Amino acid sequence: MNTDELIDSLSADVTPVATHAVERRLSVAVATGAAATAMLVVFGLGVRHDLASAMHGYAVWMKWAYTLSCGVIALFATYHLARPEATRSRSLWLLLIPVGLLGLVAVVEFAAAPPSHWLAMWLGDSWQRCSMRVLVLAMPILVALIWAFRRFAPTQLRLTGAAAGFAAGGFAALLYSFRCDETGAAFVLTWYTLGMVAAAAFGALIGPRLLRW
Amino acid sequence: MRASEDQLRAMMIGGLAGDARAYRDLLDILAPLLRAFFGRRLRDAAEDVEDLVQETLIAIHTRRATYDTSRPFTAWAYAVARYKMVDHFRRRRVTVPIEGLEDILVAEGFEEAVSARMDIDSLLNTLPPKQARAIRETKVDGLSVAEAADRHAMSDSDVKISVHRGLKSLAARLGLS
Repeated sequence: MNTDELIDSLSADVTPVATHAVERRLSVAVATGAAATAMLVVFGLGVRHDLASAMHGYAVWMKWAYTLSCGVIALFATYHLARPEATRSRSLWLLLIPVGLLGLVAVVEFAAAPPSHWLAMWLGDSWQRCSMRVLVLAMPILVALIWAFRRFAPTQLRLTGAAAGFAAGGFAALLYSFRCDETGAAFVLTWYTLGMVAAAAFGALIGPRLLRW
Repeated sequence: MRASEDQLRAMMIGGLAGDARAYRDLLDILAPLLRAFFGRRLRDAAEDVEDLVQETLIAIHTRRATYDTSRPFTAWAYAVARYKMVDHFRRRRVTVPIEGLEDILVAEGFEEAVSARMDIDSLLNTLPPKQARAIRETKVDGLSVAEAADRHAMSDSDVKISVHRGLKSLAARLGLS
């Protein structure tokens, strides 16, 4: 086909584009992926039975605040990277804020407890399972985000994959916290974060392949 | 005729709203611009130029939703073209240094169009004198880097760095980065 014919056929298809089409598509993707992950948590793992009473304590809220802020910050970075002229995103550095705050809580918790408890507070009962579960639960959200990107124009594919993976990990960790009954800040800081970082690494690995256009 | 950033942007906004006429005009103007852009950078692969022009037009079309109407259109369009070129070299497994987006915009002559409303001199005056002089001589007056360097007893790399830093802060000022 010569270029003039191509222009003819392209300009014959000018379906109007909704304003905020990128934002909408991204929201739909996150909502769909998160719904699938929520199903896995509810029907696969089961929600913790003492959730209602746990909501009187601060640990649940701490986990929600930490995972939600990680997910939202990484999602903003991902959104920024959907446009071709995006520069290296500095917003990912904002992730250091929730990490730093949770680190402070962990230090305070450790200071209030005898050193003999420290190891148990750090490892909890589920450290061997937690990160892997966050990683697995991140997959539906990551798949949905990659689907959304089929219409976007990222130019830094590895970074975009990593940001999308981290966002998926953050939201997956948020949903997993409805199952997990660990209470220590050091536990969350280590094992939840490890799960999110693993999801980001996976995203960075597949990004250059799956986000190409 | 050289279309200005404002005209292209208005056509794109029309196209996004479903105006086929404006959109067609936009693609008609973009095709030769893209041909020149790739032609200059793929001198030994002229047969690939038209393929890249078409691929870029298709990408601009299918990904037009990612254009944020509050931002410069040419920066967006050249970013798509730049990506297509990087992808082309990647497929060929050739490594070539590729200019940053702001350098491309200058090379394609769009920094003046973008700033058509602002007098280029008043824009340059916002920069440190050394950077402003380097840009004026190499990009506006058309001197080579070596000529500009000779004139002021500077090194070539000093001139290049001044130009690069100056363009970077201009690009930031014009909202290109």
